[in-house]
Amino acid sequence: MNTNILMRKRIAELFLLIAGILFLLIFRLGWLQFVRGEELQQKALDNRLREVPVEAKRGVIFDRNNNELAVSISADSIGVFPAEIKHSGKAEEIAKKLAEILQMPYDKVYSLITKNSSFVWVKRKVDFEVGPQIKQLNLPGVEVIEESQRYYPNGILAAHLLGFAGIDNQGLEGLEVTHDEILSGKKGKILIEFDATNREIPEAVHRYIPPEDGNSIVLTIDETIQYIVERELDNLIAQTQAKSATIIVMDPKTGGILALGNRPTYDPNKYAESSQDTWRNIAVSNSYEPGSTFKIITAAASLEEAVTGINDRFYDPGYIKVGDRRIKCWRSHNPHGSQTFVEGVQNSCNPVFVELGLRLEEKEKGLFYDYIKAFGFGQKTGVGIRGEATGIMIPEDQLKQINIATIAMGQSIAVTPLQLVRAVSAVANGGKLMKPRLVQEVRDKDGNLVQEFPPEVERQVISAETANKVCEILEGVVSKGTGRNAYIPGYRVGGKTGTAQKPGPGGYMQGKYVASFIGLAPVNDPRVVCLVVVDEPQGIYYGGQTAAPIFKKVVEDSLRYLGVTPQYDEGDKNEKGSEAAKQLAVPELVGLPIVQATKAIQAAGLRYEIQGEGTFVVKQTPAGGAKVSAGTKVILYAGEQESKGGKVTIPDVTGLRISETALLLEALGLELIPVGTGEAVEQDPIPLTEVPKGSKIKVIFKDEKVVETLGP
Amino acid sequence: MRIRRGAPDFAIILSVMLLISIGIIMVFSSSAVTSQQTLGDPYYFLKKQALWAVLGTIAMYITSHFDYFRLKRIANPIFYICLLFLVIVLIIGSSSKGATRWLGIGSLSFQPSETIKLAMVIFLSKILSKKHGQIKSFSKGVLPVLGIMALVCVLIMGQPDLGTAIVVAGTTVLLLMAAGAKFGHLFLIALAGVGAVGLLILVEPYRMERFIAFLNPWADPTDTGFQTIQSLLALGSGGLFGVGLGASRQKLYYLPEKHTDFIYAIIGEELGFLGGMLILLLFIIFAWRGLKTALGAPDNFGSLLAAGITIMITFQAIINIGVVTGSLPVTGITLPFISYGGSSLLITMASVGVLLNISRFSSSK
Repeated sequence: MNTNILMRKRIAELFLLIAGILFLLIFRLGWLQFVRGEELQQKALDNRLREVPVEAKRGVIFDRNNNELAVSISADSIGVFPAEIKHSGKAEEIAKKLAEILQMPYDKVYSLITKNSSFVWVKRKVDFEVGPQIKQLNLPGVEVIEESQRYYPNGILAAHLLGFAGIDNQGLEGLEVTHDEILSGKKGKILIEFDATNREIPEAVHRYIPPEDGNSIVLTIDETIQYIVERELDNLIAQTQAKSATIIVMDPKTGGILALGNRPTYDPNKYAESSQDTWRNIAVSNSYEPGSTFKIITAAASLEEAVTGINDRFYDPGYIKVGDRRIKCWRSHNPHGSQTFVEGVQNSCNPVFVELGLRLEEKEKGLFYDYIKAFGFGQKTGVGIRGEATGIMIPEDQLKQINIATIAMGQSIAVTPLQLVRAVSAVANGGKLMKPRLVQEVRDKDGNLVQEFPPEVERQVISAETANKVCEILEGVVSKGTGRNAYIPGYRVGGKTGTAQKPGPGGYMQGKYVASFIGLAPVNDPRVVCLVVVDEPQGIYYGGQTAAPIFKKVVEDSLRYLGVTPQYDEGDKNEKGSEAAKQLAVPELVGLPIVQATKAIQAAGLRYEIQGEGTFVVKQTPAGGAKVSAGTKVILYAGEQESKGGKVTIPDVTGLRISETALLLEALGLELIPVGTGEAVEQDPIPLTEVPKGSKIKVIFKDEKVVETLGP
Repeated sequence: MRIRRGAPDFAIILSVMLLISIGIIMVFSSSAVTSQQTLGDPYYFLKKQALWAVLGTIAMYITSHFDYFRLKRIANPIFYICLLFLVIVLIIGSSSKGATRWLGIGSLSFQPSETIKLAMVIFLSKILSKKHGQIKSFSKGVLPVLGIMALVCVLIMGQPDLGTAIVVAGTTVLLLMAAGAKFGHLFLIALAGVGAVGLLILVEPYRMERFIAFLNPWADPTDTGFQTIQSLLALGSGGLFGVGLGASRQKLYYLPEKHTDFIYAIIGEELGFLGGMLILLLFIIFAWRGLKTALGAPDNFGSLLAAGITIMITFQAIINIGVVTGSLPVTGITLPFISYGGSSLLITMASVGVLLNISRFSSSK
């Protein structure tokens, strides 16, 4: 019985031990389920949930009249659940069918649909007939999923502004990327619970977080004007074979960009097929020397600061000396001579503008530069396009007198086309510089206004009075001066031509020019400011010949479209008078060396063709002094100068280099005695003297640093 | 032994039947989806488990009417036959999952390691009741018992089946404790047991991995720590009331052995803390009533036999739930009454029948 008592005691102790352990396990269970419950539950859920993103629909990009420029259309994408395919045991058959319909290699399809992943895209955004075709086959584990795809209904229209969105509807270029946050909306998702073999759990958690569709933006762009610009860009490239070109049309009163286009361009629907160079919006990302178009800024600043009056007189001997340098006028072979300020602008006379720039600097150091900056140069316009350039300006502390002189005529400064349009728009807008606008409204998907971007005045650069004076002077440039090709009957057009030689390594590059024209209309109440820039036109390169006619077409069509009624003045009403206004006098060219003659013809706004071989013009049609319309072709017959009884007439060799002079004189049977080096500045005997063949001509060359200039 | 037979212990019947019922429901719940997908029949395991439960109930009825003291006489042959099965299974047994555990053909097969547990408890109860005067002696009382245990354990480890070996060893040691062995001896045995288990872990790389995974399951969540982690995730998802019967997610291929070794995790997930606690409370009731039966038994053999059966079942339950709750390393052992497993359920219920028979002779009602 002794042991029996011990056994009873031991069994009771055993119960306490076992019960104690079991209670500890209850405690452990409670610990796991309550204290660590949330953490473990979340881990379990993460283990099982797969996320399938649901794309938000991208907002629409409208033009200012609510025409759709970029929309989202639905497109089918093909995705598979590899586990289901594996489960069906028909992976090879499915791969074969998909490969056939999707026109993809079988091996690639097979490896995709058997991938060790819960979900795989086989091909996204397929052609519209493919989706239903695959759906019809009802293949296990194959899903046709509706996604949205960006579509640009007008193709290349405004391509550089709109940019494009990629396969995941993410903005990649242009407004699509700068306004991506507004347009893209918020992605939604479907959370699907899967079992450990990647099978969807029936009746399981399906949390659907719906996407928030993106907002739409309304641009200041006008689809019709943009269309006109695109059409004229095509014409421009066809006519000039230029490397690239830009046209911008701005509403000067609001700073709203009505149209902006570049060549080369691309179709955003097929952006991947074009080279990336074509995606660049050179209207804002390229800086170029504006040349004579910049003289508008010089003129405006000069009038505002009263360093000249409208009728102040200037004298152009064909050049102006600044320090030890000589700046030639573009028409140095036939100097403008005495002229008023207004005529100087009409003639685009370089010495006049150099003089003005220097006068401004003389009045107050840095004054001219202050105006340039006030007009918005040297800084980004903030238009909201990625990759905007600031332009290039010589730092103010390094600025020399010669720089001010050349900047006054649009050299030694680089600007973006948009900067120039904005600055000239300030002149057209009573001196108020506007912030350039591209987006005027943000609307939600139901069309309710979310945000508005009203026009913003940045500053008053010049007085309204000065601005109006400049506009009227610019009108004179078109009606009487170098911008005659921009004349539009019935409308008062003001503008300025520009031709700049392109800078390259170690100076300006021969034969590479940027021709441009900027103008505004109507002068009394400007509705549009338009800039046409032609980069490296082949053949004729003067802005007046290449850019101005295009400007004319763009502005004429735009004004008519905008409902600006043409007002014919007396001269315009008379058709002959209207024609006369555009009639040009053919210069007298016979006897001139071909080199000089062709320059003169282009400067006069005419074209030329050379027939025969020789150094001199022996005959011309039409004859000198004849009235012809702009752009008329003058045929030059080349030949050697007739010797009149063994005598020849000495040509003007001023400006020619030693080698050029030698060639010319040799052709005439004369002998060159060069003195010095550089360019010819003086000659003996003087030009037009008749001398016997074999005479010796002494020419003095001077190695002056001559600033290359071009014009008008 | 002329004591009149009374009624069997009702609390034991109730707790065991409740556990078996919950078991059948949970075997169905945890296996339905996967057996539908893999076997084409969601009721496959339900049907088998229910059938075995019926067979088990019959077995329990029979053993409860077979007076326990008559077992004393046939204890030796039963033990030797079962021992023989244990040897045979090593030679011609059929394998599954790297272990050779089954004897027989198809649905008539059984695990000799299951039968040896009961046979050994009967055999040891007999020896210990005979030698109760020598129990204080290590060499005469304790050592022979340990020798038998060692033999059985070695044979079981030959399969290998660490879980059952642990149950056999644990039950033996606790039975020695019940029989009155010195605590000093028990302490030494426990020390030796820990050493042996440690050695076994060191010998087999997969056991080492399991042990390391137990210490930090998150270190290798996709491989060695996988079972423990999935089990903890299931339990943790349960909360107070559980996700609802049939709504377990972890049973969808995440948790392996979900209707056998890890069924308690699914109970914790679907029925929550309340369900999990109910199981533990039912085992506490079973242990209480089983050991109360041992206390009330008319002789030492009955006392030891009742205690041995109760210990055998609850000890296995503790090990199983300890594994499922991440409190012990993974050993691979089922939860008595609840886990799916035909022969195991049958033997367990037959054991309960023996326990019930002893309770009918209880003096302390």
